Amino acid sequence: MDWDVVVESFPLIWKGASKTVSLFAWSLAAGTVLGLAVALMKLSSAKPLSWFATLFSWLFRGVPLLILLFYAFFALPEVGWLLSPFWAAVLGLSLWTAAYQAEAIRSGIIAVDHGQTEGSDALGMTRSHTMRRIIIPQSIRIMVPPFTSNATTLLKQTSLATLVTVPEMTLLTQRIFSNNFKFIEPIFVLAMIYLAMTTVLIIGQQIVERAFRLKT
Amino acid sequence: MELDWGVVARAWDLLIDGTWVTLQLFAWSLLLGTVLGLVLALMRLSKYRVLRWVSLGYVWLFRGIPVLVALFFAFFVFGRQVGLSALQAGVLGLGTSAAAYKAEIIRAGIMSVDPGQFEAAECLAMTRRRYMRRIIIPQGIRVMVPTYMSNTILVLKVSSVAVAIGIVELTGITRQLSNSTNRPIELFTAAALIYLFLTTVLIVLQEFLERRFALKT
Repeated sequence: MDWDVVVESFPLIWKGASKTVSLFAWSLAAGTVLGLAVALMKLSSAKPLSWFATLFSWLFRGVPLLILLFYAFFALPEVGWLLSPFWAAVLGLSLWTAAYQAEAIRSGIIAVDHGQTEGSDALGMTRSHTMRRIIIPQSIRIMVPPFTSNATTLLKQTSLATLVTVPEMTLLTQRIFSNNFKFIEPIFVLAMIYLAMTTVLIIGQQIVERAFRLKT
Repeated sequence: MELDWGVVARAWDLLIDGTWVTLQLFAWSLLLGTVLGLVLALMRLSKYRVLRWVSLGYVWLFRGIPVLVALFFAFFVFGRQVGLSALQAGVLGLGTSAAAYKAEIIRAGIMSVDPGQFEAAECLAMTRRRYMRRIIIPQGIRVMVPTYMSNTILVLKVSSVAVAIGIVELTGITRQLSNSTNRPIELFTAAALIYLFLTTVLIVLQEFLERRFALKT
C-alpha cells in the first residue's frame, strides 16, 4: 500500500462524507417517524390498521434494499414521480429502515409491564394519553439497543446509494478506481471513515443507554 | 401509463437464471460465513488472549464497514492478486462480512448454555473439544436458531449488492432488462416478488427449525 496515495485519496473521498451523513440523517428521521406509525398501527385494535402494518413489515423486510432503491430511481419516474437521485435514495432507505425500526419500537412498547396500561385505564386516561405519557417514555429505555443497531446498519447501507448515482463516499471511491486505477488505498480510506463513523454511533449508544438506565 | 406484464413472461428465463446465480452466491457465502463465524466464536471464547483479540478485531472491522466495502476489497484487491472470478470474489466478500455477524450469534448461543454444563463436563474429564462438540454446541443451537435464521435472510437479501462488482444475479439481470426494455415497474416488481418468495421460504424454514429444536416438555 502506497501511503502517498492514501493521503491523496482522503480529501477526495471525504468530500462525500457530508452526502453520506445527510442521507443517513434524513432516512433515519423519516424512517423513525414512519416506523413509530407502523408500530402503533400494528398494536392497534383496528384490524385493517394492524393488517396494513404487518403487510408493510413483510414487504419491506422481504425485499432487498437495493431493489427498493432501483424501484425509487428507475420505476417511479414511469408514473411521473421524478425524484433526484438523492431523494430517491432517501425514499428507499427510509421505507426500508422504517420496517426494522417499527419492530424495534413495537418490541419496546410491548415490553412495558401490562400493569402500567391497566393503571392508566383505572385513572381514566385516554389511550393516546396513556401511550404518550406512560408507555412510550418507559419503552425508550428498552428500544435504545435495537434502535441504534438499526441506525448503524442504516449508516453502512447508505453506501448502496452509489448504485443510484448519489455522489456519497462510496461513489467518490469508485471514481478513484476508474480514474487512477488505484484500489487498495481508496478502499482503505473508505473503510477507515466508515469504521470511525460506526464507532461514534456505538459510543453514542452506550452514552444514551447510560442516560436512560433505571436509577436504583 | 400502460403496464405490459407480458415483458415479465418474455424475460422469465433470464430472471430464473439470475435467481439461480443469487442462490449460488447465497449458499456459498452462507457456508463460508457459518464456518468462519464458528471459528471466530470459538476463538473469542478461547483461553489464549491473542486468539480472542484477533476475533474481536475481525468482528469490529467487518461489522463497522459496509458489505460493499468488503466486496470491493475481495474483488479489486484480493481477487486481482489471486485471480478470482467475480462470483468467487462475491462469495468471499459476502461470506467474510456475514462471518462477523454469525460469530456474534454463535457466541451468544454458546454463552447462553448453563455454566453447570461446562462444569459437569469438566468433572467427567471430557476434553474441551469433546464437550464443546457433544454437550455445549448442541444445546446452544436451540438458542441460536431464531437469530441465525433472521441473519440468514439478511444474507440472501444482501447478496443483491454483488451487482456492484458486476455479478449478474437477480438484481443485476433485472437492472439490465429494465434498461433494455424500459419496463422498470413490471420487471422490478417481478424481482421483488421472487425475493419475497425466497425470504418467505426461509421464514417458514425458521419456524420449522424452531419447532424442531424446541425443548420437549
